[in-house]
Amino acid sequence: MTRRPRPLVYALLAAFVLGSAFPLYWSFIIGSVTRQRASQNPPPLLPGGHFLDNASQVFDRIDFWSALLNSILISGFSALSVVLFSTLAGYSFAKLRFRGSNAAMVFVVMTMAIPPQLALIPLLKEFSNLGLTGTHFAVALPWLVTAFGVFFMRQYLVDAIPDELIDAARVDGCSMIRTFWTVAVPAARPAMAILGLFTFMQVWTDFMWPLLVLQGSDVQTLQTALDQLKIAPGQTLTDMALLQAGTILATVPLLLLFIATGRHLVTGIMQGAVKG
Amino acid sequence: MASITFQQVRRTYPGSTRPAVDDLDLVVEDGELMVLVGPSGCGKSTTLRMLAGLEEVDAGRILIGDRDVTNLPPKDRDIAMVFQNYALYPHMTVAENMGFALKLAGMDKAERAARVAAAAEMLDLTDYLERKPKALSGGQRQRVAMGRAIVRSPQVFCMDEPLSNLDAKMRVRTRSDIARLQAELGVTTLYVTHDQVEAMTMGDRVAVMKDGVLQQVGPPLDLYDRPQNLFVASFIGSPQMNLMDGVAHGDAVDVGGHSLPAKAPEAGPVVVGVRPEDWRLSDDPDALTVTVTLVEELGSDSFVHGTCDVSGTPHTVIVRAPARGRTAKGDEVRVTTDPERVHLFDPATGARFD
Repeated sequence: MTRRPRPLVYALLAAFVLGSAFPLYWSFIIGSVTRQRASQNPPPLLPGGHFLDNASQVFDRIDFWSALLNSILISGFSALSVVLFSTLAGYSFAKLRFRGSNAAMVFVVMTMAIPPQLALIPLLKEFSNLGLTGTHFAVALPWLVTAFGVFFMRQYLVDAIPDELIDAARVDGCSMIRTFWTVAVPAARPAMAILGLFTFMQVWTDFMWPLLVLQGSDVQTLQTALDQLKIAPGQTLTDMALLQAGTILATVPLLLLFIATGRHLVTGIMQGAVKG
Repeated sequence: MASITFQQVRRTYPGSTRPAVDDLDLVVEDGELMVLVGPSGCGKSTTLRMLAGLEEVDAGRILIGDRDVTNLPPKDRDIAMVFQNYALYPHMTVAENMGFALKLAGMDKAERAARVAAAAEMLDLTDYLERKPKALSGGQRQRVAMGRAIVRSPQVFCMDEPLSNLDAKMRVRTRSDIARLQAELGVTTLYVTHDQVEAMTMGDRVAVMKDGVLQQVGPPLDLYDRPQNLFVASFIGSPQMNLMDGVAHGDAVDVGGHSLPAKAPEAGPVVVGVRPEDWRLSDDPDALTVTVTLVEELGSDSFVHGTCDVSGTPHTVIVRAPARGRTAKGDEVRVTTDPERVHLFDPATGARFD
């Protein structure tokens, strides 16, 4: 029989769940009331009946569907790219012997210490010099591979693949890349799923970089499109109800994705945890 | 079929000053099962991995038949390897695991299936062909690993401690299975183990290594009967040979006040070696006096452990005795041996005196 946790543990967990879920709930509350009600004090704590009105206004004001498509394309492409290149690089660092391997790995980890904000301006100048601003590609390009992804896959694969399995593949006649596909990828699958999902989420919710690089362009992601809701024509104050309704709409696809892959994700995380 | 030849082969790992394998000269004859044995770190696995092409060779040449394979990648050497932890692909079925090398070599599907089926038949794996390795026992996994080697019908088998992960009973059974299979197929085999019992029972010939240096090569009984140095003498045989310091003069060796008959080539200090089964009881007052500390009764025979006073220091002596004897702990027995049963070694170099 499994031991049940004590009531205190339950209480702490419940508080944690509420704390995590509250912003989403709050966002929905504000999105479901009128503009006036949203700015009143005390603020509303229960949902109102205006969500669909607000939502239809969002669809009127911004090109939601094309922004959604852009977000899916950019996040999906970035996730695939990060997973592919991080797995390749992580496998190399974990299992292949080459000169400078340790130094290169240390360098990769060190780049994680640099705040990404520091790179925003130089990166923007570079992109603008290259004439890349205002394109899907411009949003996705910095996300082709991440230092964290490489580090994460290396840590996972170091223990997940026995060296003898690589030897066996070589004796069987696999080329280096074939060994990667035959031995590394099947072993890496759970970690790849997590990395892909996290990257997708990260790119999906990224606001600063697309805002800069897509300024004045027809191409918008969900987050930058929502930004256009801030100031309505003829108004000086942000319509919080409209903005929150839009935020909820932009979060729904992400929630659906998590629900669809949730079980896979949890087992993946647990595997990583046990393997240490 | 082909022989294997190591010519002055050396391997030094990066960051190490001492070679892992030092100027190895070794020939495995066509169809022979050669067991490479030694303690961990002796270079036996490195030797095997160099033959397989998984480890670089710093100096010397490796030949399979007349082909110089020193710098060939593993897949071009016409070898197959069996690993200690089997190294089966976890996401492939038994059949896919066994046929993978053939698939990579571009063999058509029908012939591949036929070869896999034949090997599965030979190894009693036919019912398990569609299972994943996860659903197999250790012994079955070991057989799949063997099957993967067999289907390729290579010139050479490389076996890296293939029995180490099996339990004792399974190990004894698989030991004879592998030896029989190898003899049937006639594939030249280099077999690495740290277990001298495996070496003695399986090898057509045995090569003993220590610290990267080959100590002795020969048929198992040659190694047992005429070990060329102290290391081989103590490594081969279980329980190990009794080794004691002594001084030779004429027809006897003086061991701390006791006397053993021996034919020493010259007078002077020697190391005396006597196998546990070569002792016999004696009434001679000069014989080795042993105080019994433990009797290991095996049913078929027994091992009597005791200490013997050698120049003031107690020295452990093991004597093989008939089963169900009357010797008990605390008894004092006198033992001696025959001169032709005594091994003499040079205490300075460890080499055998002849």
